[in-house]
Amino acid sequence: MMDVKRIISKIERDYIISNLKKEERIDERGLWEYRKFQIKSDVIASAEGSADVSLGETRIITGLKYEVGTPFPDLPDKGVCTVMAELLPIASPLFERGPPDEQSIELARVVDRGIRHADCVQTQKLCIKEKVSVYILFVDMYVINYQGNLIDTGAVSALTTLLSAHIPEGIWNEEKGEAEWTGKYFTGKNIVNELPLAITYGKIDDIVFLDPSLPEELVSEGKISISVTEDKITSIQKSGAATFSIDEIKMLGKKSLEIGKKLRKDLNLLQYQSKIK
Amino acid sequence: MENNEEEPIDDEFEDFEDEEDSREVVVPGEVLTEDVTNFLPGRGTILNKERNKIISLNIGLKQIKKNYINVIPLRGFYTPRPGDKVIALVVDKNPVKYKCDINAKDFGQLKPKNTIKKGKTRGFRGAGPMREDLNTERFDIGDILIVKVLSADRLNKPELTTVGKYLGKRTGGIIITIDPPKIPRVIGRNGSMIKMLKNLTQCNIFVTQNGRIWLKGEDIAHERLLIESIHKIASEAHTVGLTDRMQEYIINEKKKRGIE
Amino acid sequence: MPLIIKDEYPETLFREDGKRLDGRDLNELRPIKMEVGIVPNADGSAYLEWGNNKIYAAVYGPREVHPHHLSKPDKGILRVFYRMATFSVFDRKRPAPGRREKEISMIVADCIEPLLFLELYPGTSFEVFIEVMDADGGTRCASTTVAALALADAGVPMKSLVSSVAVGKIDGKKVVDLSGIEDKAGDADLPIAITWYNEEISLLQFDGDMNLDEMNEFLDLAKDALKEIHQIQLNTLKSKYIKLQEETLKQKDNKKGEK
Repeated sequence: MMDVKRIISKIERDYIISNLKKEERIDERGLWEYRKFQIKSDVIASAEGSADVSLGETRIITGLKYEVGTPFPDLPDKGVCTVMAELLPIASPLFERGPPDEQSIELARVVDRGIRHADCVQTQKLCIKEKVSVYILFVDMYVINYQGNLIDTGAVSALTTLLSAHIPEGIWNEEKGEAEWTGKYFTGKNIVNELPLAITYGKIDDIVFLDPSLPEELVSEGKISISVTEDKITSIQKSGAATFSIDEIKMLGKKSLEIGKKLRKDLNLLQYQSKIK
Repeated sequence: MENNEEEPIDDEFEDFEDEEDSREVVVPGEVLTEDVTNFLPGRGTILNKERNKIISLNIGLKQIKKNYINVIPLRGFYTPRPGDKVIALVVDKNPVKYKCDINAKDFGQLKPKNTIKKGKTRGFRGAGPMREDLNTERFDIGDILIVKVLSADRLNKPELTTVGKYLGKRTGGIIITIDPPKIPRVIGRNGSMIKMLKNLTQCNIFVTQNGRIWLKGEDIAHERLLIESIHKIASEAHTVGLTDRMQEYIINEKKKRGIE
Repeated sequence: MPLIIKDEYPETLFREDGKRLDGRDLNELRPIKMEVGIVPNADGSAYLEWGNNKIYAAVYGPREVHPHHLSKPDKGILRVFYRMATFSVFDRKRPAPGRREKEISMIVADCIEPLLFLELYPGTSFEVFIEVMDADGGTRCASTTVAALALADAGVPMKSLVSSVAVGKIDGKKVVDLSGIEDKAGDADLPIAITWYNEEISLLQFDGDMNLDEMNEFLDLAKDALKEIHQIQLNTLKSKYIKLQEETLKQKDNKKGEK
């Protein structure tokens, strides 16, 4: 396509819309087809878990770090898992340097909610001593190249990172008043309970389609992301000015569970579980 | 007539279709020759500090033309030159000018006086108030225009015009962007490559200097094949025998994809 | 921030067999792998794996300057932004850029600016973004090295490349290319860069203590290592083009053979 600008040309807009109406997309996908996922796990030596995930040419590198800290007062026996995202300026001429903007906050929050409400991370296993010491996990996503649909890419990236986790196991030493290493690690297998995936659709001119590429995203009037586990919907985010009918939402809910099942099977994310003892 | 294959453009890649060997790939800082008495530094080269060597400034192909050593760059950005035809995207407008993105370091300026409609004039002194609004085109933000660069220099923003053959607003079709240095290869010597592309894919195609290419085919399948072919040409621009190879590629792909 | 495993330094930086902890000889570089064109959206880009360092560099430019007041009417400006990912270090780094990152950004820019022809691009900027995804000693040297590649990949005219490495002293012995642990626990550390246009030093820092003889030895030690690194940079830039040339020539010859 043409080099990316903030303003998309009428020619591109017309081309995308007229082809979508014929259920055609420039990269030969159908309306409900994903671009190709490429996944590598445990790529960062300094991190306690990591993933390098590409969806088409959208690429996100995610790393996991932990700290030991005090739990929230209302959840004294649970650890904490937080998700952050940065749209790096290398990833697109559209991204500027600076503190996280709306788009990066949306990415972080939608991925976070998909994981949280799926009960994906077993935070009760992240407790070292109740009320005193718990693990705080930081899942930080960095966008390396942006060609549309950060959310679905981010969700797979965050999940793979958690699965690849190898976190030093700590045990409370009452005398020293701090956590001590047992010499072992606990892994994604111990803490990841569910495999939520985000499924994002764009909408242009009453046509809804899966996995918008960048030109499609720039032309879209709105989008909707639905996070799913094998049998449940765990979070929904609609954004942009487009409206969706009730029937459309019902259809997309059903479709998301189906697409999620297929994607989960195709990706086989459990293969990325860390094997450290 | 939407193609520009008959327009002569300096083919910097020259036609090394018939050459037996590939050109030498050189990189920034590489010594091209120490014979500074017989050779002069040409395009993409410079004399070193001691003035006893000619070195390359770019990643490119080494070329010797008469006694000049040139480097044909394989990577680079577009620098507007007067006479260039480029594809512009209107990004802003006010009563005195259109601001156009021409894929260069500066935005180009298109002033109403340079958008006179075909067959019209601006009017002349004594003929009454100048009706610019009747005689000039109206463009909107988001429009794609084929423009010519009137003037461009180091300090001033490029001036553009839509007055001329093939120039003006484009509708329909699609635009892709490739590395500007590869554009001559897509055209080919005497238009050989672009003619072949047009005939085999049955698409209309307009190639411009700023790396942007407008194309329109009978259906998306033909357009896809043409787009992929152009990207292939761009990535193999530095190899010999490219036109023949591309012809073979397109014929095979048409069979594979079941299109004619 | 409290961690389960503490960041402790080993007692000695050499093994019993005389090699360094990672098995290297005194003058040996860590394994280095480079690639260009790795970020499709950028005007130019490069990726570098150097030991455990993993660094991306991307160039955008020439383009408009933001904020506008920083633009210069008679020449372009070069801006380098060095950032480290939170997970690139043992103890998670705060996301916001700190003083060290700003310092390294400046140092890398100082190495690169003399190679460019900024006066040809008045009113615009070249921005080089360096993103360290994994860090293990010598990141400023690795960043300078990969930034030069990214600029060449962007087609920005350059008088030459610049290459950089850190030499130093660990447990009293002079070594080339300090790893993270050698940097932290060693005696002296000298990051250095040479621009090949005039074969002069464009980056030089030193922490530790040394006498004059030692300084001269350090500089000589560095020069050989830098030549090796430069060769890797040159091969990286050329290899994908040469490979394709060879493949297509072979195809052409096969065709001829068939006829």
